[in-house]
Amino acid sequence: MLLDLALWLQNTGLMRALRESDHGYEILLSLHLSFISLFGAMIALTNTRLLGWALTQDSVSEVVDPLRWPKRAGFVCAATCGFLLFGMKAEEYYLNVFFRIKVMLFLTIATHALVFRPSVYNKPSELEGASGTPLRAKIAGGIALVLWFGVVCAGRGIGYIYPPPFSHHFTAMRAVPGERSAYNSANPAAPDARSGASNRRR
Amino acid sequence: MNMGDNPLDASLLLFPIFEVTHIVSFAIAIGTVALVDFRMLGLAMPRQAPGKLMRDTRLWTLIALCATVFSGLLMYSTEPEKYYLNVSFLFKLACLFLAITFHYTVHRRVVLAQRSGSRIEAGAKLVACVSLVLWVSVVFGGIFIEFVRPGLSFN
Repeated sequence: MLLDLALWLQNTGLMRALRESDHGYEILLSLHLSFISLFGAMIALTNTRLLGWALTQDSVSEVVDPLRWPKRAGFVCAATCGFLLFGMKAEEYYLNVFFRIKVMLFLTIATHALVFRPSVYNKPSELEGASGTPLRAKIAGGIALVLWFGVVCAGRGIGYIYPPPFSHHFTAMRAVPGERSAYNSANPAAPDARSGASNRRR
Repeated sequence: MNMGDNPLDASLLLFPIFEVTHIVSFAIAIGTVALVDFRMLGLAMPRQAPGKLMRDTRLWTLIALCATVFSGLLMYSTEPEKYYLNVSFLFKLACLFLAITFHYTVHRRVVLAQRSGSRIEAGAKLVACVSLVLWVSVVFGGIFIEFVRPGLSFN
């Protein structure tokens, strides 16, 4: 069912137009990374402050409160670009193990937010203490950093997996009618992953 | 292993590790600079003084930039002929040089001159826009490396 949904999504008008454009994918990917940069820096600053590792001359609320809405805006922008990227090649991403890991990590981050937002992120003024931030805030900050780092690793790992030759998008977009595609000719049984820098896909 | 072999090519994990380091460190570097620029444009953290925000994040920016450049050099060493002949990579390097130079000269002076509570002038906002354009251009240049044909042409 999920695969059917992915196939439907990548064949909608918008996604086909983006996929068939000259540089749509590259532009969206660049914007995705630019928004990730902004969002990632704010995540790093917020959670390292909770851990007491950085910006310790500022109170927790002075760091966490002003970054709340910019973080949300950055996440929405990055996620929008990410959704459009996904929609362009939904079937390939669905079959990609690193993409699945990235989705699982996002679900874990959502759970982390449900657990810690009421007691930590929404009440930074209660985290000020003479002996530093409370243990639950440090745990929240540490887990958040590990999870977001995992998202970055999984996101980069996506590009190391070649799509299977039988994927609809791959055979439809890469193969010229009446000819075998260059990829299928050279790699009739492509492995799932390549090793080494010179063999990386992208 | 021969003397001329690059250890990054021999290992399954080393290149991806340096690539992730490159991505995380440039995210932090560009993100901290962008945070100050968005403050200058009045789009984020309006109660923070731009100069204080820059002083609070400058060590992060510096360390992250060093990690970005170091990991980038290691990645470059794996296929130098590919990158050297890639117009997008050369564009990225040019924008990176301009961005770093601009950041530690004009940008730094203008941001530190802003006083807490005072209105940001149009000239200072223009400096923030130029900074953002330069750093985003570095990202675009990096992404397009894999999408342009080898050789110094724009195809």
